[in-house]
Amino acid sequence: MSDQSIKSRPVYQSLAMDLSGLRHLLVSDSPAYRFEAPPDREVEVWFVAAPDQEGRIPPSGTVRERGFRSPRHLIDRLDHRLAQERMGLRLYVSGTEGFLWDVFNTAQRAGMTRQEIFQCQSGTQARRVACVHCRTFNHGVTTTIVRCDGCGANLFVRDHFSRRLSAFMGVKIDAEVAGEVPPAEQAYS
Amino acid sequence: MGIQFKTDETFRDDFSYRNSDAAILRFPFPFGEDKYMYSVNIEPHGKAGGSPAFDHAFDVDEHYVAECRERAIVLDHDPKRCQVLPHMMPAEWDTLELLMESLSTDYPEHFSLTRDGTAWHWINRPLGLDRRFVFGDASTLPCGPFEYITRQAQGDFTLQDQRDDNLYVDGGMVTTQADWSLEFDIGMSFHEWHGPVPLAHEIGVFDRALQYLLRLQYGHPVRRLNWTMTINPRLDTSPENYPDWGPDRTTVTAENIAGKLHLRVELQTLFRLPRSNAILFGIRCYLISLQDIERVEKWRKRLHRVLATLPPELVEYKGLTRFHHMAVSRLAAMDDGAPLSLGIQPDQARLPA
Repeated sequence: MSDQSIKSRPVYQSLAMDLSGLRHLLVSDSPAYRFEAPPDREVEVWFVAAPDQEGRIPPSGTVRERGFRSPRHLIDRLDHRLAQERMGLRLYVSGTEGFLWDVFNTAQRAGMTRQEIFQCQSGTQARRVACVHCRTFNHGVTTTIVRCDGCGANLFVRDHFSRRLSAFMGVKIDAEVAGEVPPAEQAYS
Repeated sequence: MGIQFKTDETFRDDFSYRNSDAAILRFPFPFGEDKYMYSVNIEPHGKAGGSPAFDHAFDVDEHYVAECRERAIVLDHDPKRCQVLPHMMPAEWDTLELLMESLSTDYPEHFSLTRDGTAWHWINRPLGLDRRFVFGDASTLPCGPFEYITRQAQGDFTLQDQRDDNLYVDGGMVTTQADWSLEFDIGMSFHEWHGPVPLAHEIGVFDRALQYLLRLQYGHPVRRLNWTMTINPRLDTSPENYPDWGPDRTTVTAENIAGKLHLRVELQTLFRLPRSNAILFGIRCYLISLQDIERVEKWRKRLHRVLATLPPELVEYKGLTRFHHMAVSRLAAMDDGAPLSLGIQPDQARLPA
């Protein structure tokens, strides 16, 4: 099950403003994001506070900025916001791959299309791994093999990515001969 | 004359599945030449082509009742093997109509469909079903229309939505699959869900296949054969249950390989659906043991040649690594190297005892 390249994984670009949009919202899973907008256009920025804030919402620099305690906190609020949005919004997403697709799926449920959402990967390359056997999500995986939090199987992290699940597939590596588990290698960080 | 269904056979535990002589001779053997490599081997789905399995839109054979029961067992353990995204409801009804019309037309002794406007009456004699329902009103069926009718058909099915010049796998009934997961892949585009297949991307197979399928016309279904090998006649070789069936691959020995090793052939059919413009993809799985293949002279020689020249990437991808050499050496002893006819037909009308 060794894969040479990842066909199901998107190639991410850096973010650039889509001038056909009427309103622009950038969401980021960290306070450090990069986005260059023409001076005559306004961009609203929602970001997640650094973990050292320990639940405090940092004061925002401008009225167009808004902080959140966690990615989950931001996405919950986004869900509510998008329910009230109209045509013309452009959504820019910056963060880890799991965050990019959690936001994407939230936006798509609210009726936004692929053409209205722009994604830029930043931060850790650690993977979210969905165990194909027991459906548990394993977070922050940095090695080629991980023991599943749910069922305990040693999962090989397959280079197959589901945007809907926002996760890579984990498949039991020693399903044929129990205990035939090669050493895990540090691969994604 | 109706089909004699083998109602008691199993695809798990004691694996009592067997092919009759007639079923062997009608098997859709996938190798028309001595070498195998991926290609866009798509052809019109009509009669002719070397196997009676192609005679009808949806082939029904002696394993029908047992395969429907096996499907019900899988769904009972894991209902997510059947999922359809909400926007695909028109395609669900299209599927139900296509299957009911095809089955009742092609096998009138076993299936009957009576339509009076939207009041439909469906009779499935092999499974003992008699159902009146309103076409277009899902509340008149015990489950969604796609699940309802694909529980009564052999083989897996997926629904492809066509948009943005692409195909998205937005639904499916997947209980007899060769190692792919609907729960993981649902919603993916054509290239995404074929992501793990080696070699084929690089030679452009998926680009060309997608272009071809986007132009698929209503009333002109197409087909191709795909294959792999499975230990024991097990239909559910899903990644979900790999911890349960994976160990089978280590049980093969030179002594038991002829009975244990099965060629697994997928008759893949594609139908454009009329209302939804979606594509129904049928993946019908046929299993035949090595010892039954050996009873057909042409097939045992051809299988030897195909396996002996299979690229190592495909040996690994198809999961044959542990027993490939055993199969090749066994078959080599039965291959004199004589030229074989092109095509998949068995070239014999009867089997040796």
